[in-house]
Amino acid sequence: MDPIQLFLLAVVIYGLAALAGWLIPASNRAGETNLARQVGGWLSLLASAIAVLSAALALGSASTPTLLLFPIDPFGSFILQLDALSAFLVGLIGLVGVGTSLYSLGCDPYHASVNFFANIFMAAMLLVVTIANTFYFLVFWELMTLVSYFLVIWQTENEKSVRTGYVYMLVAHAGAALIMVAFLLLYYQADSFNFDVLRQTWLSPGLKNLVFILAFLGFGAKAGMVPLHFWTPGAYSAAPNHISALMAGVMKKTAVYGILRVCVDLLGVQVWWWGFLVLLFGVISIVVGAYYALVERDIKRILAYSSVENVGIILMGVGIGMLGLAEKLPALAILGFLAALYHTLNHAFFKGLLFLGAGSLIDQTGTQNLNQLGGLGRRMPWTALAFLVGALAVAAIPPFNGFVSEWFTYQAFLSASQTPQFAMRVFIPLFAVLMGLGGALAVMVYIKVYGSAFSGPAHSQPAAVAHESPQPKLAAMGYLALGCLTLGLASPLIAPWIAYIAARFARLAPVPVASGWIVFPAAPAQAALSIPLVAVLLLALLLVPALLIAAYGGNRVSQKMKNIRSDVDPWSCGYGYKAFMSVSANSYDQPVKVAFQPIYWLRTLMDEPIRRISAFSQRALQVIRQSEPVVEMVVTRPTQRVVETAGQWIQALQTGDIRVYCFYIILTLAVLLIAIFGRSGL
Amino acid sequence: MTATGILMGLLQAALLLFLAPLFSGFSRVIRAKVQSRQGPPLTQNYRDLVKLMKRQQVVSDQAGWIFRFTPYLSLASMLLATLLIPILITQSPLGAAGDLILVVYLFALPRFFFALAGLETGNTFGGIGSRRELFMGVLVEPVLLLVVFVMALLVGSTNLGTISQSVAAGVLPLTMAFWLSLAAFAFATFIEMGKLPFDMGEAEQELQEGPLAEYSGRALAMMKWGIYLKQLVLVALFIAIFLPFGSMVATGGSPITPIGFALALIAFLLKAILFYFIVGVLENIMARMRFMKVSAAAWLALGAAVLSFVFYLAKV
Repeated sequence: MDPIQLFLLAVVIYGLAALAGWLIPASNRAGETNLARQVGGWLSLLASAIAVLSAALALGSASTPTLLLFPIDPFGSFILQLDALSAFLVGLIGLVGVGTSLYSLGCDPYHASVNFFANIFMAAMLLVVTIANTFYFLVFWELMTLVSYFLVIWQTENEKSVRTGYVYMLVAHAGAALIMVAFLLLYYQADSFNFDVLRQTWLSPGLKNLVFILAFLGFGAKAGMVPLHFWTPGAYSAAPNHISALMAGVMKKTAVYGILRVCVDLLGVQVWWWGFLVLLFGVISIVVGAYYALVERDIKRILAYSSVENVGIILMGVGIGMLGLAEKLPALAILGFLAALYHTLNHAFFKGLLFLGAGSLIDQTGTQNLNQLGGLGRRMPWTALAFLVGALAVAAIPPFNGFVSEWFTYQAFLSASQTPQFAMRVFIPLFAVLMGLGGALAVMVYIKVYGSAFSGPAHSQPAAVAHESPQPKLAAMGYLALGCLTLGLASPLIAPWIAYIAARFARLAPVPVASGWIVFPAAPAQAALSIPLVAVLLLALLLVPALLIAAYGGNRVSQKMKNIRSDVDPWSCGYGYKAFMSVSANSYDQPVKVAFQPIYWLRTLMDEPIRRISAFSQRALQVIRQSEPVVEMVVTRPTQRVVETAGQWIQALQTGDIRVYCFYIILTLAVLLIAIFGRSGL
Repeated sequence: MTATGILMGLLQAALLLFLAPLFSGFSRVIRAKVQSRQGPPLTQNYRDLVKLMKRQQVVSDQAGWIFRFTPYLSLASMLLATLLIPILITQSPLGAAGDLILVVYLFALPRFFFALAGLETGNTFGGIGSRRELFMGVLVEPVLLLVVFVMALLVGSTNLGTISQSVAAGVLPLTMAFWLSLAAFAFATFIEMGKLPFDMGEAEQELQEGPLAEYSGRALAMMKWGIYLKQLVLVALFIAIFLPFGSMVATGGSPITPIGFALALIAFLLKAILFYFIVGVLENIMARMRFMKVSAAAWLALGAAVLSFVFYLAKV
């Protein structure tokens, strides 16, 4: 089958999955039905798999699969295009979609609308990354925003989530407005909405810069880069768990796609400061995201801030790629985009995994507060293992996938600091150091999360009696965890593909980034890395301590020690041990909070707009409530009265006598005849 | 990756693994001498390890598999580092596996599990030690990375072998940037080794050795050995980057001779002993520092690193 047909099939199946909740009759009053959930989940799984397949076929084909509908339309042609970058994004959406739809099978039945919006959300994201027309792009972009907004406010009775949804809606629309202005400016120059035409259009440098800044900020708001990040913690923590995974793991990536598509592909990078601006926003996002993640208590808010950090890392790669294009250094450009795309894929996997893991915790214990969890590693061992894999990956610990993409980013930094541009040589190494700082903080963040949720004693009653998650959820987490491992271990196979996508996207000749088991950053002399070898060596070297211990009798208990307990309370200076003696999530970040106090100033600053927006939303609600009676008094009631009176008058004509009606007909005829003869001007 | 490379790598791993307790014993001797004590014999650490290896392990009932797995991992990851660092030859024995950035991140792997093991037990000291350990990581990592970057920029590669060779062969001019990098890296190494003003994570005097508090028997032996090895690996990394003089140059067909090997070994041991001696003396003439004051000291290291970067830019 043609990739584009497969792609359309995926979209259609998502549509069917969305309708499943409505079409299959509700089995109880809340409109929840197990059958509908199963059908919806499996259909959505199928659609995701088909999307992945279509992406793979599209990447394999030499030409760009294209579908043209309504060629003569007021808004240009409805063109779907699966070029290398679009296919990559489609594949990413599908791969994560497989995990989240599998996960949704194990969730408690949500209201049918969650299923509906979730599937529409997937379809909208797929269309956003494939449409090659700015008008329809905006339509799908808006659709994506709207359905995700409804998913954020799914707990409509919860006033906080409604307010959060309002903040999200406002920021998303402010961003969309900027994008819209950028597209309109392009339209006025090119007189077309089609990407193909826009790519060829000449723009004056000033206009180009303006469009770039508008689009970058617009997409940046959706990507959650600092300082437009403040909607993310609230929105992600309010949405249903597998939707948070989609929003953080996938929806952010559509914004990255937007930056790449509009700022790099359509505009074409000619000046170095574009890349520099992207790098600057990226590095601020890394530092701020990492520091703020550390001091949160709510597990989903932590993951949200950590996503801000990871978007920063992705932007680093994007920025360097743009620099490479501007400075006409093809190898650097490809290396930068390779790092960005690789991290995009990795982040989708590990952040999806972490959100699903957090979701399982929340479903089993009923709390998002880390201070009330604890000890779940013993009660939910498989969830804990999967979460640990995600945590190691996001903390960029070798040999997991997060390390590989950060390694490529470091190498891109190193190549970029050797360019003749002096500003680059000054700032890029400093950016690299700040990324390293972010990495060290991320390690601390995830040890705090894992440690306070899974280790130590249980800190609340629900945590003490929690059970392992249902099997579909475990399968989903296992799938994503395996993905994290594969993306790391198979990096010598995967990196060349991503480099090929980066090269096709940037319209450059591909450069080799791997040979055999080794990956290297375009220039083999600069560095080499072989994750499979690292993993094999690490496993082999584990034998050394194992053999040493075995030589001394292993972990068996000697005959003499048999009657001594080897399983005891933690040592607490001789006092009786109590659960509160363990270190809590609250105190874990204390040193950082004290030592880096000034950094938290921005957070306090950001609280103000959030408070204002929520206050405004409340006021708006009040105004609407108050204005309802006004409308009734001024418009509805008088209209009603007029209609009623008129009806009474008309009633006088309707006597019910057939002869009177005949008279009316004759009268009408006479009036009409007179009118016609009068007009013909006798 | 050649057969010689693999052989040298295994030799290095075995050498460092079995010498690490000796070097730590040397530190203990220096401490005793500075404090005018008799002190333990040089080989005391080996005896301690053997004694602990014979003992049974008692585990907190809170602890899970991470707690039991950490001792194995901390030793294995440091052994992996010994395969990557040019110690006896000016080439990374298993250079195909990774570069300097991998080595820096390899220190994060055992740290991750070490800190988690501290939390796993539910022990108060373990938790506090774990959080301190990570905080130190936050302070030191930027310094390490900046120095790594300056050296990589000076040489044009993050390949450890390439860096070692350019410094050893004198290709790299020994500029101010180089010397300041050396100073900053030495400082960072000192902090990472957990020497006295900075032994925050497993502070014996105030935290009962932090995350180590709950370990006992064979697991404790492995943990201790892992820490000894980590210290020696850090020193070896420092020597490989900044002082690779005397190591065998094993490129371009020059064969590995027994004499060259012996010379390289002696050169490495001398350099390591010198480093441990300086560290030991410094450690013992300094007072304990309040934990929250440590960040001020780390700024100094960062300052040196930034300065070296500035000198690199100014080409001084």
